[in-house]
Amino acid sequence: MTSVRAPATAAPRRADVPAIVEAGIRGVSMQVQDLALGFGSATVLSGLDLEVRRGEITALIGPTGSGKTTFLRSLNRMNDKVAKHWHRGDVLLNGASIYAPGAQLMALRRRVGMVFQRPNPFPMSIAANILAGVKAHRIAGKEHYRDIVEARLREVGLWDAVSNRLNSSPFSLSGGQQQLLCLARALAIGPEVLLLDEPTSSLDPVTTENIEAMARSLVPALTVVIVTHNLGQARRISDRTVFFYQGKMVECAETAQLFEDPREPETARYVTGRMG
Amino acid sequence: MGAPGADGAVPAGAGPDVLLGEGGPGATLDLYGRPSWARRTASLAGWGACMLATGLIGVPLIWVIYGVAGRAVPHWHWSVITETTTSTGGGGLANEIAGTLVLMAGVVVLAGSVGVLSGVYLAEYAKGSLGSLLRSGSEVLAGIPSIVLGYVGYIALVIGLHWQFSLAAALITLSLLTVPYIAKSTEVAMRQVPTAYREGADALGLPELTTLRRVTLEAALPGVTTGLLVAIAISLGETAPLLYTAGFTDNMPGLSLTHAPVGYLTYAVWTFYNQPSTAFQNLSYDAALVLVVLVLLLIIASRLIVALTQKHTESN
Repeated sequence: MTSVRAPATAAPRRADVPAIVEAGIRGVSMQVQDLALGFGSATVLSGLDLEVRRGEITALIGPTGSGKTTFLRSLNRMNDKVAKHWHRGDVLLNGASIYAPGAQLMALRRRVGMVFQRPNPFPMSIAANILAGVKAHRIAGKEHYRDIVEARLREVGLWDAVSNRLNSSPFSLSGGQQQLLCLARALAIGPEVLLLDEPTSSLDPVTTENIEAMARSLVPALTVVIVTHNLGQARRISDRTVFFYQGKMVECAETAQLFEDPREPETARYVTGRMG
Repeated sequence: MGAPGADGAVPAGAGPDVLLGEGGPGATLDLYGRPSWARRTASLAGWGACMLATGLIGVPLIWVIYGVAGRAVPHWHWSVITETTTSTGGGGLANEIAGTLVLMAGVVVLAGSVGVLSGVYLAEYAKGSLGSLLRSGSEVLAGIPSIVLGYVGYIALVIGLHWQFSLAAALITLSLLTVPYIAKSTEVAMRQVPTAYREGADALGLPELTTLRRVTLEAALPGVTTGLLVAIAISLGETAPLLYTAGFTDNMPGLSLTHAPVGYLTYAVWTFYNQPSTAFQNLSYDAALVLVVLVLLLIIASRLIVALTQKHTESN
C-alpha cells in the first residue's frame, strides 16, 4: 500500500515551545507582499501583507464581502480567469513568486490545493475522482491506482462507506461525503498548502466535526488556510486568525489572542458578535 | 422576505398591509376552499393549451407512421432489404439502404468532429467580437436553404473539382448543412456545464485538454448527442442537396470517394412514387418505412448511449 501522508518532516506541535520559536523553525510557507487586486474598476483587496506560516492552520474571518474568499483564491491564482481581473504586489510560495511571468499554473496548483464551499465532484466514478489529479500529474503508475484510492479514502474516513461502490457516481453520496471525496481528491496530488473555502458551510454538524478533525490532523505536515464564517470553527482549529474587513486586513494574530484580546476595535466588534 | 414593520419601513397596523394585502398574512384564506373561478379557468386554459400543442405533434406523427406502415407492410418482402434495385422496379432497396447508411456514417465522422470541435471553440475560447462574428456566420450557414447548398456543392465539387456525382461531394455538402446544428448544440451544452466543475479541475491543476475531455465534454454529452442526432436525422432525410451531389445508381456503394454516384433512400421515396409501375411505387413506400424505422432505431440507440455514459453525472 502506498504510504498515507507521513508527518515525518515537521515535529508535532508542543505546548511548551513558544510559538515564535516554532514559527522560526518551520518558516514561512506563503508570503503576501503589498497585494492589491480587483476586477475592472472595482478594487476588492488592497494593501495586504501576510505571512502564512508553514505547518499551521491560518483562518480567514470577516463579514460577507470583506474579500477573504477573493484573497484565498489569489493564493492559487484562481482569480486569473475571472473577467477583468488585475492585481498588484506579489505572493511568494517558499520565496518564489507565483505571479512571476513563466510561473506554471499546473505546478502551482499541484503544490497549493483547494477545496470549495460546495462539494464539486467530477462527473466520473468515485475512484476516478480520486485519481483525476494523480493521472494528470503522472504521480504514480497504473499498478498503484487501487492502493492510492484506498489510502486516500481511508485518510478522509470515507473508505468504509464507499469501498463497495468505487465505480458508482459520486452524486449518490451525501453532501458531506461528497465534500470528503473532494478533500481526498485534493490530498491525492500531495499538495504542501491546502486552501479551504468555507468547506463546512453546507454540511451537517457531525461531518463538520469530521472535517475539522481532519484539518487538524493535516498539520503540521501540511499548511492549511481556511476561510470560515463560523467563528467557533476558526477558534477551534486555527493557530492564527486573520480578520478581513472591507477589503483590508485589519488584524492578524495568534487565534487565542485575536479572539480574547483583539488589538483593533473592529476586530473586537466582529468577534464579539456586535458586527455581522 | 423581511417581517413588515420591523424597521419602521412598512408601518404596521396602518390600514391594509402593503406587502401581504388585505387581512394581513393569509388570515382569510380557507385551506379547504375551492380556488377561485378565475384561477380554475386560467389553470384549465393552461393545461388545455399544453395538451393541444402535444396533440399537434403527436397526431401527425402517428398518422405518418400509420400511413407509411399501412401502405408498405401489406406487400412487404424481405428481398426489399437484400436485393438491389433493378431498372424494371423489381428487386429491392439494398443499394439505397447501404448508400444512406454510408452517408450517415460519413456525416457523423466529418460533420460530427468538425461540429463538436467548433462548438467547443465557440463555448470556451471565442470571446468578444470574433466570437459573435463566428456565431453569426454559423447561424447564416444554418439558414441557407439546403437546395442552395446542394447547388453550391454541384458547382464547386461535382463540376469545379471534376468529382462528378460522388460520395465525397455528397458528404461534404451534407456536412456543411449539419455542422451549424452540431456546433450550436455543443456550444449551448458546454455553457451549461457548472462553473464548479471547471474550477475544481483548475484547482487540481488538470491540463486544459484533460478538463475538456474528462470533465466538461463529459458533462455536456447529452446536449452534444442531441446535436449529432439532429444532424444524422437531417442526413437521413435530405433529398435536395443529394440530387445535386450524390446522383443515383442501382449499384451498391463502392470504395471510391469520387466519380461514383451513390443511391439513397429519399431518392427512392421521391422518384419511384412517380413511376408508372406498381413495383416501383411499392418500393417507394418501402423506402419510406425503412427511413422511419432507421430514425426510430437511431433515437433509441442515442438514448442508450447517453444513459450508459452518463451514469456518473449529477442528473442521475
